Formats: sequence, structure tokens, C-alpha cells
Amino acid sequence: MRLIREPPAPLRAARGGRRGRLQFKDYYQTLGVARDATADEIKKAFRKLARKYHPDVSKEAGAEARMKEVNEANAVLSDPEKRAAYDALGRGYQPGQDFRPPPDWDANFEFSGPGFGHAEAGEFSDFFAELFGRMGARPREGGFGPREARFAARGEDHHAKVVLDIEDAWRGATRQLSLRVPRMDAAGHVVLDTRTLDVQIPKGVREGQLIRLAGQGAPGHGGAPPGDLLLEVHFRPHARYQVSGRDLLVDLPVAPWEAALGAVIPVPLPDGSTLKVRIPAGAQSGRQLVVRGKGIPGNPPGDLELTVRVVLPPADTTRAKELYETMARDLNFDPRG
Amino acid sequence: MREEDVLIGALLEDACLTLDELSRACAAPPDWVIERVREGLLPAPGEAPTAWRFSSRDLWRARQMLRIERDFDAVPELAALVADLLEEIDDMRARLRRAGYD
Repeated sequence: MRLIREPPAPLRAARGGRRGRLQFKDYYQTLGVARDATADEIKKAFRKLARKYHPDVSKEAGAEARMKEVNEANAVLSDPEKRAAYDALGRGYQPGQDFRPPPDWDANFEFSGPGFGHAEAGEFSDFFAELFGRMGARPREGGFGPREARFAARGEDHHAKVVLDIEDAWRGATRQLSLRVPRMDAAGHVVLDTRTLDVQIPKGVREGQLIRLAGQGAPGHGGAPPGDLLLEVHFRPHARYQVSGRDLLVDLPVAPWEAALGAVIPVPLPDGSTLKVRIPAGAQSGRQLVVRGKGIPGNPPGDLELTVRVVLPPADTTRAKELYETMARDLNFDPRG
Repeated sequence: MREEDVLIGALLEDACLTLDELSRACAAPPDWVIERVREGLLPAPGEAPTAWRFSSRDLWRARQMLRIERDFDAVPELAALVADLLEEIDDMRARLRRAGYD
């Protein structure tokens, strides 16, 4: 961090002109460290929380949101320049308090570190974007002008999850996505917009697959093209169906006589059609039947995997009891024999 | 919603991302990817880097490894080990779901 010359007039005039209410974020509180914590203490606290809230393993409620807060706090406090600026500005503020940085508050700071990408800014809060979002557009000492004017770089790719119903893999779907997108305004500030996209998802999509929306990522710099938006597909849990890749897994409840004697059973599919499946005589519970090519459509299509589950009728009437007693007497059957 | 407002997504099939696309999608330099493929920490997708093609699963793994390396200053081998375990957890959770245990 060092003093720099006065920023150029157009940049100065625009600062402080935007923006609704912001709430102050206490990054020290987020990481659970004292305001005079050393860099080592901050690193240690961050790692502890990163482990605790790792979205793939954490059982804590809201782990993903908490991890974002922790990442944001660490992005500021682990960077000496950002931390110094934050400390200077945040003196006297309480967490959650309305916050408005004074115009030109950062005129005396230069952020020289790795900075942050637009993709990262999209993950972080408005508070972060307000404080540090203009780094990418800052004029550098020596009067070369804004960095964007000197370099052409393709925009970064953005990532998002999209949750579909299993049925959508058969019929395709249109989903509305709301994304927080960092954008450079005319004065060179990074501002976060909420952008709504209607996306058509083709049929044949499967769990974990990526959908690319070309040019919907971060804007490019210096005339370079924007990045892409990559959507990762997830299916909402379904009461009847499971999927594995393109295979459709279905439990097939059958009556004992259907299992014992064989039967043709109607199986409803997610596209609304019904497939008649022949169950061989003597099918036990847990036996798997595979119907090739009847899973999620595609090239090649997946398979339909049926798992036979024998369901006993209840012995809740005199007649039902008699039938069970007859079987017990006449069949001489020992399932443990 | 007007029809022209709807963006049409392109489904990425298995083994479709080039080296540049993978590195761009996980915001890492191509050298980072090349090094991890050479060390066997990311799947070897072919002979020459120009012919490499990665799947969406590979992208997921690369992003996990990158995050673990960055957040914990982890050596690449440790990050790959954690990614292995996360993949294993993911598979086991899917099997539990299929068996009716959510």
C-alpha cells in the first residue's frame, strides 16, 4: 500500500454516487479473531472454518452460505493491503450497522496484490464489492490509464447449479435463473447486478452434466469476449425414480403371486408413458431386471433398471388368514432352510 | 417470456473440454492443469495436451483440488487425496439415496 496521485476527475466524480444501503460486515467477527490478530492467527482461523464449513462434508445448516462469508472475510484480512484499507474505513462501525464509505475513501490506497476476479466478486457481498470492487479499474501510478484499456482478456467463466426434476430429462425444461453478476459501470466501478436468465435445457440431460451458455460469464476486458456460464445439473429427489448417469432406477413392487408365477407389469415412465415389463417366474425380492435403452434419452440412451420388491398382502381378514394358513400347511416351505 | 429471450444451453458431453477450456473454467493457468495430469493427479486424457479432453467430472475434481491447495496451502498430492475422498463420499451418498437412505 502506498500513496498515489490524485485519481482522475471522472473517476472521482462518480465515486460515492451509487448505491443503496449497505450493512457493515465485521470480518474479524466472521473469522472469530481479534482485531490485532497476526497473519498466522488469521490463516489458522480461516483453515479451521474452511474445514468446518466445507460444503461437501459439512453437516452444519447453511454451510455453503457460511463458507462464502468466511472466504470473503479471508480475502480481505489475509491481504495486508485490503486489511489496512478495511481497518481504516471500518473504525467505529458495528456489524449490521448501515454503512456508506465516504467519497474517495480509497484515494490514498493502491491495491497491488493479486486482486480478485469478477467471478470471485460475484460470490461476495455488496459490501465487499463496494469496498474492493474498483480495484480492477484503478489507474496505476505513472499515468498509464485504466488497466482495462491496456490489456485484452477474455472474461472469466462463471459457474452455477441448476436443479431439475427427473422428468425434465425426458421432455427438456426452461428454467429461470437469478445470478448476481459483477459489472463495470461507466466510471469504472464494479457493481453487482441481479440478472435473470431464461434457459432452455435440452432433453437427455443427466446428473452432474454441464450446460454451457456461451458468452454469459464475466464481461471481457479491452474488447475481448465475455466468458461462459457453466451450469451443473442436479436432479431433485423423486419419490419413485432414481438416476445413475443416464440409467433410470425404479423399485418395482409386485404381489407374491406375480413374483412366483411371473407376470406382465405396467411400469410408468417419467415421460408419462407406460412400459409393460415381463417378470420371470420365481423372481425374488431384490432381483434386478434391465430394460436396455429405456433410461434417460441420449446417444446412447440409458437403461431402465428395475428392482423387484415383493409386497405381502396383509393378513387382516379371515379369508386372507386362511390363505396364508393353507400355504403354510401345503407348501412345506422354510425360507431359512 | 418471449421466445427469443430464452437462452439455449449446449449440453457438454463426456470428454469434451479442451485444456484451455478446463483451465479457464477453473480459473487456473494451463500449466497448473498440465502439471497435475503429468503427476497423475488429474485423469490422463490422451497423449499430447492439445488432444486432451476432459469431462465435467474432471472439471469438478480440478476445482476441488484448486480450492484445497489454495485454502490450506496443501501440496497437490494431498489435495488430490482429499478430492479422491470427496468423490468417494459423493458416490456413497448417491448409493445411499438409491437405497432409500437420504
